[in-house]
Amino acid sequence: MSKTAIILTALFLVLVPAQAVIFNNLVLFNVALPLVFIYLIISLPVTLSTNWSITIGFAAGLAVDIFSDTPGMNALACTTLAFLRKPVYHLYMSYDDDLLGLRPGISTMGWAAYFKYMLTMVFIYCLMVFSIEAFQFFNIKLLLERTIFSTIFTFIIIYAIDSLSFKRS
Amino acid sequence: MRELFDFFIRNSKWFVYAFFIVVSCMLLFHSNPYQHYVFLTSANSVTSTVYELSNNVTSYFNLREINEDLNRRNAALEKEVIDLRESLQRFIEKNYADTLVIDPEVDHFDFIVAHVINNSISRPYNYITLDKGSDDGVKAELGVIDQNGVVGIVSVVGRKNARVISLLNPNLRLSCKIKNSDNFGSLVWDGNDPTTALLEELPRHTTYTPGDTIVTSGYSAVFPPGLPVGIILDDGRDHNENFFTLKIRLFADFTALGNVQIVTNNYAEELKAIEQLDNTDNKKTTRQ
Repeated sequence: MSKTAIILTALFLVLVPAQAVIFNNLVLFNVALPLVFIYLIISLPVTLSTNWSITIGFAAGLAVDIFSDTPGMNALACTTLAFLRKPVYHLYMSYDDDLLGLRPGISTMGWAAYFKYMLTMVFIYCLMVFSIEAFQFFNIKLLLERTIFSTIFTFIIIYAIDSLSFKRS
Repeated sequence: MRELFDFFIRNSKWFVYAFFIVVSCMLLFHSNPYQHYVFLTSANSVTSTVYELSNNVTSYFNLREINEDLNRRNAALEKEVIDLRESLQRFIEKNYADTLVIDPEVDHFDFIVAHVINNSISRPYNYITLDKGSDDGVKAELGVIDQNGVVGIVSVVGRKNARVISLLNPNLRLSCKIKNSDNFGSLVWDGNDPTTALLEELPRHTTYTPGDTIVTSGYSAVFPPGLPVGIILDDGRDHNENFFTLKIRLFADFTALGNVQIVTNNYAEELKAIEQLDNTDNKKTTRQ
């Protein structure tokens, strides 16, 4: 468990500044914004209590908000994402697997299930963030474009990061 | 009581979730953008440190574009400076022309103010280039003076520019006289020093003292009489039989020519016609 805590802390300390410094500037075609730091929430161990995941999610979202001066936006979306994490996980995996207490990944979930899990999480998150943004100027076409393209872009980058860490372990 | 606790613990995730949602929404819908706590914005010390670190790296990426922008801006400013300098020059010339004291004697002379754009003093035959040409009424064989004294005579005229034979050119001989005397000689440069020239062919009986002013004689249509040229420096060395030569310090500072005036003589044509007439008359009489 302590090893997981160290990994999570390291992920937090790397992903949040990376999101602020690198990924926030990687906007493709003015619509696709990679929200890579949610990999932190996606990869939380399955057995971690919802309270903890919500707290971690809120902290990560708030940190990114502070960096990008969007108070509350990512915090709200991350809290919700962390709350929905277990239900989404169990859409594709049975409850029996919880006992192992592993972090979600290709090795623990299998290729197809992990893809579906990750894609669902990224899509939910992008939809939430851009919907919250749309409070200010609502444009349904732009909202859909940003959600879809950001989901694809984020998914690709997260998959790349995930395969890196997977190979190392 | 225990059931109440149990209820809270069993549903704790809902309460935690609601708490964070409320906090997030409070942040999100905080209406006044100027009243955020500073630690919740990117202005706090941690985030600004991270941004500074990244900026240390990324600030180099745009240097080429920034440099191009600066160059473009620099060129625009330079053009503006040149434009302003030109208009300033125009005003200076205008002011200069307005404040110029003109002898009533030279009434039929007009002045075109011009600016020296090229000037040489070190060669044996020196020329000056002016920024006024035939479009401005400049013609060949007009005199050029500056605020101190005679400078030269226009030789070649283009549309926008004119070349002037400088006094510092042995090709130019200027008819001069000592002020308050009618004895005249011819001023010519000896090719040595841009501040001095020689006044040659003065009659032997001329009386003078060093420091006397040399002025134009007015015997040609080029310069009106009485324009200052220089002062007598010392005794002439070259005593011929009937003439002697004086060394003259020129008033015009050829090392620092700025604005000059071109002297146009309204009666030059007339004068030339009369002289021509005289010549033909003489020829006729000799033939007869």
